[in-house]
Amino acid sequence: MEPEVMEAEMVLPTHMWFKKIQTYDKYPKGQARVRWKQLKQIIPAENYQNYPPEEPNYVNIETPPSMHPCRRICDITGYEAPYVDPRTKLRYANAQVFKVIRSLPNDYVQRYLALRNAAVVLR
Amino acid sequence: MPKIKSKPDRVKSDRRFGHSLQLQKFADENRRRLDGFLSPLAREKEVTKMPFISKIERQSDYRSFPPNHPIVIDNGGSYFRIGWAGESEPRVIFRNIIQRPRHKITGETVTVVGDHDPALLKYFDCTRSGPRSAFDSNVVYQFEIMEYILDFGFDRLGADESQINHPVLKTECLCNPVQSRSKMAELLFETYGVPSVAFGIDAAFSYKYNQQLGICSGDGLAICSGFNTSHVIPFLNGEPVYEACCRTNVGGYHITDYLKQLLSLKYPHHMSHLTWEKAEDLKMEHCYIAKDYVSEVHLFQKGDMEAEEKTRCWQLPWTPAPVEEVPSEEEVARKAALKEKQGQRLREMAEAKRFNRINDLENEIRDLDILLQRLRDASEHDIPSILAKTVHTSQQEVESALSKATQSLRKAKGEPVESLEKSDPSSVDRYNLISIPDEMLTPEQIKQKRKQVFIKSTSDARQQKKQKQLEEEMERERQKKLEEERRLENPELYLEELRAKHRDLSEKVEQRKRFKTNGGQTNGNENGSGGVGRGERLNSSQRERMRLLTTAAFDRGKGEDTFGAKDEDWQLYKLMSRDNDDDDDDKPDPDEAELTRLSSRLQEIDPTFFKPEPGSSSAEAPPRFRPLTKEDFQIILGVERFRCPEILFNPNLIGIDQAGMDEMVGVSPRRLPSKGRDVEDKMTESILLTGGSCLFPGMRERLEGGIRMIRPSGTPIKIARSSDPILDAWRGASAYASAMQFPQQTFTKMDYDEKGEDWLRSYRPRYTI
Repeated sequence: MEPEVMEAEMVLPTHMWFKKIQTYDKYPKGQARVRWKQLKQIIPAENYQNYPPEEPNYVNIETPPSMHPCRRICDITGYEAPYVDPRTKLRYANAQVFKVIRSLPNDYVQRYLALRNAAVVLR
Repeated sequence: MPKIKSKPDRVKSDRRFGHSLQLQKFADENRRRLDGFLSPLAREKEVTKMPFISKIERQSDYRSFPPNHPIVIDNGGSYFRIGWAGESEPRVIFRNIIQRPRHKITGETVTVVGDHDPALLKYFDCTRSGPRSAFDSNVVYQFEIMEYILDFGFDRLGADESQINHPVLKTECLCNPVQSRSKMAELLFETYGVPSVAFGIDAAFSYKYNQQLGICSGDGLAICSGFNTSHVIPFLNGEPVYEACCRTNVGGYHITDYLKQLLSLKYPHHMSHLTWEKAEDLKMEHCYIAKDYVSEVHLFQKGDMEAEEKTRCWQLPWTPAPVEEVPSEEEVARKAALKEKQGQRLREMAEAKRFNRINDLENEIRDLDILLQRLRDASEHDIPSILAKTVHTSQQEVESALSKATQSLRKAKGEPVESLEKSDPSSVDRYNLISIPDEMLTPEQIKQKRKQVFIKSTSDARQQKKQKQLEEEMERERQKKLEEERRLENPELYLEELRAKHRDLSEKVEQRKRFKTNGGQTNGNENGSGGVGRGERLNSSQRERMRLLTTAAFDRGKGEDTFGAKDEDWQLYKLMSRDNDDDDDDKPDPDEAELTRLSSRLQEIDPTFFKPEPGSSSAEAPPRFRPLTKEDFQIILGVERFRCPEILFNPNLIGIDQAGMDEMVGVSPRRLPSKGRDVEDKMTESILLTGGSCLFPGMRERLEGGIRMIRPSGTPIKIARSSDPILDAWRGASAYASAMQFPQQTFTKMDYDEKGEDWLRSYRPRYTI
């Protein structure tokens, strides 16, 4: 290791005096890595359905969908968007933006749609 | 080495602000550089800036704290803060991320926690491992990463005993799933040997802290907008009401990501400049919350002075392309002389070559003459012996060689070659056999006849062509004369007509050329026809070719293969070949010929006519010929400045179907167990803004407006920003852990083992102690 790297102590030492179990013992090299459950998997495992529904939990404290009408803004410029392009499904504000939309390559269209989670997802 | 899988889009890349003095300098310089490029006009009053708070010096006074002195950890989505209970500042602060790069020289994989000087990362190969976080949304799920982060935190706090012999107070998210909570407790107990642990909500600690400062009262709302999520938590008598909380999954992370995506879509050429940390900087420095999105956006749509002032421009490093110097007179002369000299040399060489050839030919002719003379003089039986010395076999051959050499000599000397036709005998005996029927001829004669027929037909065709050319010439002359007459009759009208014709034709030719060179990629805004765009890029012949190719590709191997049974089948390949597209390149375009004729005519009679240089108009069209200017290296932040933070109020802008922050304030009191107007009024009378995403300018005003819309008129509304939205949670926790009754809120490993996971599920500390 280079002296300046050593001096900055940016690399975490593998052995820590204050630990009862060292990381290298817990996660030995070459062994199959631990598959950590993601939130998507953690929540079903919590079995919230077995508890009274009025008891607060991670899922039922989520905010419900908005009661206001959905605000539609132009995907490109952010202006108010009265129109939707039927071909690309992008929202646009005026004729100028429309021209831009029509000249966009497809992957850009998909990326713009992905920004509001409306892209076509191939599975 | 097992690779840790983390949520891939968690934190994209991550070198940020430094900790040591040198790093701080680096950061400051960066900031100054950015500031320098912004026009002074475009500066708005800076409100609060996100403090850049990495502190990772190792502490040396660990041993001076008695074993019952709690350690306080604020495990936030973006920053990890650790320190001692009762103190006002955390001792160690770093970004809550790790990186596992490979050391370039030794090749070993190392762990790097938090943010470090980007300059030091040059020794590591980071291409295969981006920064990773232990969080999925606001829940810790990756405990291997969590362990590295805790290692680093305790290490920098100065821990050097055989275990962490201090109670630990750690923040967690609201209603943390018990799986995550128990894993965290296990980690602290088993790996670090922590005697007792308490978990609390960061926003609650922040609220308590500000309550003590008198910023908010015992009953009220905490609006906490963090890195991954935003919460609204009501408080009654200083205790959070869990039932009435609500969470929207939008936070600072989403804002930065949105900004980064928008800018990289807007400026695809400058993608390399738009890193995660740059976007984060831009967000913190320039984003604000519009009081009313629609009216703000109208400002920009009109594009008047006010919008101009609100637009920020980031000038990327740019150096103008070197300007080509006009060569001096001397240089031009020197180059011309050089060229002339080279031309002279070439001409001399060609001359010498020609001279040699003439010499050779003359020698050959002389030799052949002599040979012929000798052959004529020699007797019959001597001829073979004479010929044996030469390459020729007969006298005729010598003669023909002689005539050929003479021809070549003439050609070399540049004299006109006698055409064959002139020297030929009259057509009558040339084609003497044609009119005689085959039956009357010998096989030898039939052969001769065929030859004659062939020669006759070709020469006839040549004659006809000549005739036709002559006729065309005459026709053109006639036309010209006619035009001339018309011109003399009415010069003005004639000129006008000619100009119009020229204009139309040149447009047509130009368009076709453009279509060909661009492959039809012209967009609506270029040729004005509008409808051309996606899916309509190929011209008809190209489309047809594509169709043929695809059908050919997919038809093969299906059913019986009858391809080639008919001759027309093979025609397909001809149609498919690429040459098919541009076969009209070979023959001159009649339109183009007409155009050149018209322009030359115009040049003759119209002194004002300016002939456009070929390619001058097409040179403007493709931007690649345009030299890049300073403006091409500018990143303009206009609507983006308030469009990105707007997602806090309208999460549906990024496709999250949840209510925004202002509506949450309406939702939360409705969930309270004790309903009533006075309770709800009490809530809105003491609203505390905390968390990093509350630092946007305009946040308070916007929220106030939004809440006023939801609540009945006359509702008292008081919104206060917490004293330090970023560090208050840790400070509150620190004060909490130093309270006398704190030990009763903790639990030990024995408690946990005895009572089990179900107890841990319902574990809630009391905040009023």
